[in-house]
Amino acid sequence: MTAPVLDLRARPSWRSVKDRLMTGLMIAAVAIVLVPLAAVLSSLIARGGGIVLAAFPDFFTEEIPRFSRRAGPGMGPAVVGTLLVTAAATAMAVPLGVLGAVYLHEYGGRGRLARLVRFMATVMTGVPSIVMGLFVYLLWTIRFGFSAFGGALALACLMLPVVIGASEQMLRLVPGHLREASYALGATKSRTILTVVLPAALPGIVSGCLLAVARAAGETAPLLFAVGAAKAFNWSVLHDANTALSMQIFGNAMDVPAAQDRAWGAALTLVLLTFLLTLTARLVTGRFARRR
Amino acid sequence: MKRLATIRLGLAMAALLAPAGCKKKEGGATLNGSGATFQKAAQEIAIDAFARADAGKGITVNYAGGGSGKGRKEFADGVVDFACTDAPYKAEEAATVKGGEFFYIPNVLGAITVSYRLDGVDKLQLSAATIAKIFQRAIKKWDDPAIAADNPGVTLPGVDIVVARRSDGSGTTENFTRFLKLAAPDAWTLGSGSTVAWPGDTQAGNGNNGVAQVVKSTNGAIGYVDLSDAAENKLRYAAVKNQSGKFVAPDAASVTAAGDGIAVDDKLLFSALDAKGDAAYPITAQSWCMLYAKQADPAKGKAVKAYFKYLLTDGQALLPQINFAPIPKALQEKALAQLEKVQVP
Amino acid sequence: MQLSELRGSPQHADRAFRWLATGAAGVVLVVLALIAITMTDRARPVLERMGLGFFTETTWSVPTGTFGALGFIYGTLYTAVIAIALAVPVSFGVALFVTQAAPRWLRRPLVYTIDLLAVVPSVVFGLWGLLVMGPALGLHGSYATAGIILAIMITPIITSLSREVIETTPTTDKEAALALGATRWEMISAAVWPHSRAGLVGAVMLGLGRAMGETIAATLVIGNTVHVTANPLAPGYSMPTVIANEFGEAEPLHKSALIALAVTLFLITIAVNLVASWIVQRQARRSAGR
Repeated sequence: MTAPVLDLRARPSWRSVKDRLMTGLMIAAVAIVLVPLAAVLSSLIARGGGIVLAAFPDFFTEEIPRFSRRAGPGMGPAVVGTLLVTAAATAMAVPLGVLGAVYLHEYGGRGRLARLVRFMATVMTGVPSIVMGLFVYLLWTIRFGFSAFGGALALACLMLPVVIGASEQMLRLVPGHLREASYALGATKSRTILTVVLPAALPGIVSGCLLAVARAAGETAPLLFAVGAAKAFNWSVLHDANTALSMQIFGNAMDVPAAQDRAWGAALTLVLLTFLLTLTARLVTGRFARRR
Repeated sequence: MKRLATIRLGLAMAALLAPAGCKKKEGGATLNGSGATFQKAAQEIAIDAFARADAGKGITVNYAGGGSGKGRKEFADGVVDFACTDAPYKAEEAATVKGGEFFYIPNVLGAITVSYRLDGVDKLQLSAATIAKIFQRAIKKWDDPAIAADNPGVTLPGVDIVVARRSDGSGTTENFTRFLKLAAPDAWTLGSGSTVAWPGDTQAGNGNNGVAQVVKSTNGAIGYVDLSDAAENKLRYAAVKNQSGKFVAPDAASVTAAGDGIAVDDKLLFSALDAKGDAAYPITAQSWCMLYAKQADPAKGKAVKAYFKYLLTDGQALLPQINFAPIPKALQEKALAQLEKVQVP
Repeated sequence: MQLSELRGSPQHADRAFRWLATGAAGVVLVVLALIAITMTDRARPVLERMGLGFFTETTWSVPTGTFGALGFIYGTLYTAVIAIALAVPVSFGVALFVTQAAPRWLRRPLVYTIDLLAVVPSVVFGLWGLLVMGPALGLHGSYATAGIILAIMITPIITSLSREVIETTPTTDKEAALALGATRWEMISAAVWPHSRAGLVGAVMLGLGRAMGETIAATLVIGNTVHVTANPLAPGYSMPTVIANEFGEAEPLHKSALIALAVTLFLITIAVNLVASWIVQRQARRSAGR
């Protein structure tokens, strides 16, 4: 490491001006970051709020108009689709991810398989979402057609490494003496993990999973070639084309003005959903920290 | 104890997912179609009305759009029940169609407008040669002498021209470029096809609406958009010089005039581009929907025949509302006769 | 857990659980192997046809079956460079402010708010960029528009990672500088910067990897035209965006070309992410050792 270089030879007045200048730049940077956030949120509320609030639950209960030029709600099928796809993806990714993390931390340690899996999980977090979408298309959609499940598969693949990483981190935080006490009482390893370690790590794992779910709910590219484009409600996970909020936003962005309005409403809904999940995750982490 | 709880949780989740699992619709059928965005609005307004008509009871129709290229591809792969296209299959493409013989059923005539946004200029006239040069980027500014020659007496600002065209494989592109080949063979060098080698400094949009979006948001932009979408997006469009030398603006009347008396072959293929007649709009395009001659599934077969019949009868009356023109009566009868030949098990 | 429950815990249930956990971990390997196999297999036809020309030619012509990916590779790199150039100064500025200059009560709320930027889905950024930001700045689809949107999207990641790296600066170094009479900025450049330099590079590279792989927001604002040019206002194209636009209607050879693009993108982002992870981990190990 190079030795710190502190050069104090400049004129004191210049040094303090420079300091203030730099602090000013830093504050400007913060302002620059907050501008897009404020702009996006205000656009969402201004352009999406109207269509979502007018005739209140219609936006969520009406079908997507078959005649896209017809102004007005709704996006109900997209909301249902997003919920189905995200729930199915979570149902697949969370158990697999948590169990995988359990293996890595409790059984694998520094062994060869564990190191390989950890490395591959890092590789997997870097897979661009469109690549996952193509992969699921080749493996699933070609054979079984469009369905919410295809989209869920793609999302689960994206979520898996994130859940593994977050869960392993949480498991690492569980103090060793809890495990040792359990072993001392004669419990087997699996029992210890299931009844002592996982409950202790649970809040952190839940928080990490909620964040992964929030990201999955907002994804579009993995769903493009797997889910299809339905306009009516489709409550089936396995059968027939479905749709999702993210896909509707993408598809309607370059469509007629009436459709663009619905896109804004869908965007507002999606952002509220992801914010809600994120806030819940933070609350859970907060309670976890306080308990410890 | 945890194990019991886990088992209970598992059963609860399975119970939740089970109804979300297998639920085939009783009675009725779902038809999936895709293809030309040129006639997307025509499909959607028909689907909407069909769902409320008696003929459409129990039938759900989905039209995904995506461009003529996508429609032909998905129809050939058997992924959709019907597809719509602005241009027929080429010979090699036609050979790849699974599912045997299929019919082209023409259902709309529409205008391809040369839409533009030029603040301060409300009316514009363009000849085919000028259009060709603009879209090839041989003409780069609005006050170019060629444009001025087409528009005597109009003050044109010296704004840069921004050309908007399709990024996806498009029947609209195919018809537009074919028109330029027919009407300006010396000026137009890029050939014709669902996509051509556009110059690099052009903007690309997805679907007719994508192009409309670019034109709408950029001063100085010009692009080819079907009349229905151009009107919906409140764009201005140019009057185009036809074979008789008259500058004709695109509307229902000039489109119908273009459709009068055109020659149709026994596959019901034809072209309304560069039509003769004083009142004809020269860039009038046609669009077909395709379905298999031998339907495989009885419920779907009945449904698709019912839907197509609706398109050719009551559906035609809906077209003027969205700035399309119905097909000529003689053609309509031929199309209905062709539809009768579709066999349902 | 009651003592009574411990009686009769069978050993094979314990072993079964171990196998279950191992299997779950193995799924990662299986999925990655499948991705590698299926995609390289489908990419082969176009590579056999084009050879290395796939990577060196810019002509992408579907009718003639000529597929040169250079234009898209260029576009991916160019938009990522623009995004990094815009995001890095801002992210560093924010990270430094939050860790060194902000009053204590402001830190947590500020971090939370900036992290909200990371929660907004990319398609919403795309919609906003297309319909609000673009027209407001007088931009239509171009490298610049895509670069700006990407910059907004990767800023929270770079900021958050930079924060973590900067926070590992040993307090003794910082206090030593301050004790000698340094202003805050001088302390930062003397104590924080040399220590964090490597880790910050890692953070930037992770942001780079993310910018290259981002698809949906870029698709709506990039202009969708192959254009190898240094002019940022020109419309452009990139690997993920062309795949999103063209895959739906592509014929087999065209699909193969798009899949080959996906594989190329995958390899590039993996390489960048791995180098970045290695740098960040090396930094973490170094500071843990002190």
